Amino acid sequence: MNTISALIADDEPLLRERLRSHLAALWPALTVIGDARNGAEALELFELHQPDIVFLDIRMPGLDGIATARALARRAQLVFVTAYDQYALQAFEQGAVDYLVKPVDPARLADTVQRLQGRLATRLADGGALDAMLDQLASRLGQRAAAPAWLHWIRASVGNSVRLIPVEQVRYLRAEEKYTLVAWEEGEALIRTSIKELGEQLDPGRFVQIHRAVIVNLAYVSQVTRGMNETAQLHLRGSDETLPVSRSYLQHFRQM
Amino acid sequence: MMPAPVTTRRTPAFLPTARQALVVTVFTLLLSWLLHLLSGTPYLGVFGRIGFIGAVLLLAYSAAGALRPRWLSLASARLGAVVLMAPVAALVTALATQRGQFFAYLAQTQTLVGHFLMVLLAVVFGVLFSLLAMRSERRERERADRLQVELEKNTLERELLDARLRLLQAQIEPHFLFNTLANVEALVASGSPNAGPVLRHLIAYLRAAMPRLNDAGATLEQELQLVRAYLELMQVRMPDRLQIDVAHVAQAASLRFPPMALLTLVENAVRHGIDPGVAGGRIAVGATVDAAGGASCVWVSDTGVGMAPTAQPGTGLSNVRSRLQAVYGAHARLELHAVAPHGVRAELHFSGGRH
Repeated sequence: MNTISALIADDEPLLRERLRSHLAALWPALTVIGDARNGAEALELFELHQPDIVFLDIRMPGLDGIATARALARRAQLVFVTAYDQYALQAFEQGAVDYLVKPVDPARLADTVQRLQGRLATRLADGGALDAMLDQLASRLGQRAAAPAWLHWIRASVGNSVRLIPVEQVRYLRAEEKYTLVAWEEGEALIRTSIKELGEQLDPGRFVQIHRAVIVNLAYVSQVTRGMNETAQLHLRGSDETLPVSRSYLQHFRQM
Repeated sequence: MMPAPVTTRRTPAFLPTARQALVVTVFTLLLSWLLHLLSGTPYLGVFGRIGFIGAVLLLAYSAAGALRPRWLSLASARLGAVVLMAPVAALVTALATQRGQFFAYLAQTQTLVGHFLMVLLAVVFGVLFSLLAMRSERRERERADRLQVELEKNTLERELLDARLRLLQAQIEPHFLFNTLANVEALVASGSPNAGPVLRHLIAYLRAAMPRLNDAGATLEQELQLVRAYLELMQVRMPDRLQIDVAHVAQAASLRFPPMALLTLVENAVRHGIDPGVAGGRIAVGATVDAAGGASCVWVSDTGVGMAPTAQPGTGLSNVRSRLQAVYGAHARLELHAVAPHGVRAELHFSGGRH
């Protein structure tokens, strides 16, 4: 029988060490061919040594454990290691692959080792169940990231530093020749992005164009006054400033 | 969801309110009775004329508010309309009651004087009632404004309470706790001399992070200790990816500071700056504290991956902002700056705050 080899991927060195020493005690015949500090390193080492087993931490910088598992595409037996992740645990309960919770309990690891030995003896393929499980996991972990990617921060030079301005504090944007003026709660700044480009990236439920050169944050509009000739003025909360609404953009305020 | 802007043009209604109509009716009934006693003319005849004039003036008053041109103020439009309509209404009553004898009626000195008296009464009472009505409208408006301010204040207080609750719930992240315990276990198992110090950092962190949000006596020094314990633990976990530098601030001991606010910024720096990047980075925490209680600044900077313009702002930052404002007032602010070539620097600016 060939020697069986394994790879450990975890961004925390102490935990890699700990898992390695547990494995050495429980499964002396196993060769740990290397330590990876993140998903990308794990893939590199995998291609180099083609180990039979990969222990994967779920939270890792760059490529996380789930993405790494996908890239490995069932070419190894996978064991996920995680400190605490309710979603992952739920998903693992339905899957065929084993999981471990940190700190790793030696008795629990002994079960895993037994399972792995059994699997490797029969070389059972995991089949489509693993793919389905990885999809499910990825969607659960990625739920927060799936929201639409509207612009939430505007970078603007203020004095000699670059401020990150949360868009919910922006009162309005106005085109000024080659620049765009950003008026927000704490002041004003000029940025190089054109108002057209900004308009496309801002949440339309929050920001409305009211003039060829002006986009306003609806949250700061206190009232609308109609003017002559199909125009209107917007009054802004907490200031005397008014903004012109030109004829072609008036339909946003028609029903008010 | 954003509330849609409301058109609050405060344009008065075209028709008078029921209350205004009632007041004018009662007054014209009384005035008619008085004039009926004085002049000896039948009550219904007098009330017909006085009531008609009263109704016209009331309508003029409210319609002037709705129809006034832009350049005319509300008060002058109303008073002008009332003064203009008084003689017109009186003339109409004369026309209606005298019909054929209208010109004869105007030709007689006595009836003409009576007519002028009627017009004068209409103008005087019309103006008087207009002024009274406008005063009560103004009071009404002031009351509404006061209620609005009250409402906004209550909303602010509720938001602060919510912020505290959310913070209490989110305080000790299980992922952090179990990962740290796994590290402690590894150190203990390997007989490392670091086990003791790391355990002490964990204890210091847990002690400081235990719910104490209403602690009005919390100081910046306590907060810096918490941050130090947290960062030391993170450094044990990621020795190759995280460098830390927490400054000792001489005047921090007596400076009031909302508990957990700085920790939230440091946690953000780890989670969004250091964690996602393979290369890691350096987190520095410092403060410039003005001895006289003037402008102070506490900051957390990292050289991590920096913030994407599309990054969703979490509740953490607005939480920190509202809690800082609760301690230091509305002028306290949270600023985020980009660090070159990559990274973020969060600054808390405030003034005052000596115990």
